[in-house]
Amino acid sequence: MTGTSFIGLYPFQWIALLSALMTLLLLADALAGHYRSGFAFRVQYAPFISGGLLIIAAVAAAVAPNVTWLNTTLRGAGWLAVASGLIGFGFHHYYGIAKKPGGYKWLLHYLMYGAPQLAPLALAMTSALAIVAARGLAGVARVGGLSIRPALLILVTVALAGAVLQATILHYRGAFNNPAMYAPLTAPLLAVVASAWMVVAPSSLILFAFTILLWLTFLVGFVGLGMHLRGYDRQMGGLYVFLFNLLEGPPAWAPALFAGFSAVGLVTVHLL
Amino acid sequence: MKRPTERGGTVTSLRQAMSLVKMGAPMHPIFVHFTIALTSASLAFDALGFFFDKQSLTAAGGWTLVGSALMTLATLSTGLTSSTRAPVEEGEARSFLRAHMALGLVFYGLLVAITFWRISLWQSGQSVSWVYLVALAVVALVMTVQGYLGGELVYRYGVEVEQAYRELPDRDAESPAPQLISSKSVSPSARTKKQGEAS
Repeated sequence: MTGTSFIGLYPFQWIALLSALMTLLLLADALAGHYRSGFAFRVQYAPFISGGLLIIAAVAAAVAPNVTWLNTTLRGAGWLAVASGLIGFGFHHYYGIAKKPGGYKWLLHYLMYGAPQLAPLALAMTSALAIVAARGLAGVARVGGLSIRPALLILVTVALAGAVLQATILHYRGAFNNPAMYAPLTAPLLAVVASAWMVVAPSSLILFAFTILLWLTFLVGFVGLGMHLRGYDRQMGGLYVFLFNLLEGPPAWAPALFAGFSAVGLVTVHLL
Repeated sequence: MKRPTERGGTVTSLRQAMSLVKMGAPMHPIFVHFTIALTSASLAFDALGFFFDKQSLTAAGGWTLVGSALMTLATLSTGLTSSTRAPVEEGEARSFLRAHMALGLVFYGLLVAITFWRISLWQSGQSVSWVYLVALAVVALVMTVQGYLGGELVYRYGVEVEQAYRELPDRDAESPAPQLISSKSVSPSARTKKQGEAS
C-alpha cells in the first residue's frame, strides 16, 4: 500500500470512500432535480445506475483493496460514470440552454434557472477520482503521464473550481441575499489557486497555506449545508412542508462537495 | 365512567400498556445530551491531562471526542426529523429554529475537523497542545450557543412539547377544570348551579 495510513486506511482507500460518499450526495441532489422535472426522459435515470454501481464498487474496493476483480470493477464503474457525467453535461446543455426558447441569447437566464450545467461534470469528477484511487490501489504510480500526487491535485483544482463556478452562478441567482452566500468565493477560491500552485511550484510555505485553505474549505462545506437547510426553512411552511421545499429550495447536499473535494486534497498532501 | 388510558386511566393489561407505546416521542433531546456531555468532558479531560500531565486523562479526552463525533450524527438526524414535524409559524421562534439548524451543521463540521486533528495527534504520538485546547474550547463555545438556541426553542417557545398532559386520576375525563376561587366567595345560587352542572 502506498502512503501513510490514517485510522487504519491508506490514502487510496480514503479517496475511494470519499468518491463513493460524494457520488451518493450528488445522486441525492440529482434525484431531487430529476424528480422535479418529472423524469421527462428515461436517460434521467442513467446517473443513478452508473453512480450506484460506482458507489458499490468504490466501497468494495476500499474494504478489500487486494482483490483484483474488485479493482477492475471499480475502474469499469468509474469509466461508466465518467461517460454518464459527460453525456449528462451534453443533455443539460442541450435541453437546459440550446433547445429552450431564446437559446443562447438567454444564456445567463438559463445558466441560472435551467438544469445545473456543471452538476453532471461533478459526477464525472468523482468518478475520475475513483479511477485514480483504483489505479493507486493497484500500485500504479502514474496517471496520464503524471505521477499520481500532482494528478490528484489537478483533479482537486478542477473540481473545486467547478464547484465555485456553479455555486457562484446559483448564488448570483439568489442575489447573494445572505452574506454567507459569498463563502464559496473565499477560502475555496483561494484553495483552487493554492492547489494549482502546488502542482506547478510546490514548496513548504505553499503546502502550509494550502493545508489551512483546505481545512477552511472543508468547514465552508458544512456552513453551506447548514445554510441550505436554513434556506428550506425560509420558504413558506419550512421543513414542515418537507418534500415541496426540498424540491424548490437550494440543492441540499451540493455544499458537501466543497468538504469532499477538500478532504481529497488533504489526503493527497498529507498521506500520499 | 371509565377513563381512557391516554387520559390517565389505569393500565390493567400488557396489551393496554403496549398500545400506549408511541414511537413519536422526540429523540433529539435525548441524543443532544450525549453531544454536550461528551464534548464538554473531552475539553475537561484534555485540559486536566495537559495541566497535570496525566496520560490517562488525555486518552479519556480523545475517546470522548470520538464518541461525541459519532453520537452527534444521531443528534443531527433526530434534529432534522424534529424540525420536519414542528409546525412553527413565522416569527421569533422560527428565526431561532433556523439559526439552530444552520449552526448545528457548522458545529458538526468543526467537531469532525477537530476529531481528525485529534486522531492525527494520537497517531503521531503527540500530546495535546495549547493551540489544540483553544480550538476545542472554541468548538465547545459554538456548541454552547447551539445548545442555548435549542433550549430557547423548547423552554420559551415549546417546540415539540405536547400541549396536553395527563390529568390527575380523581378528575373525570369530561368534567370542566376546577375554578380557582375560594368557596366563601361563591354565592349560594352560583354554587347550586355549579353542583347542577357537575351532576
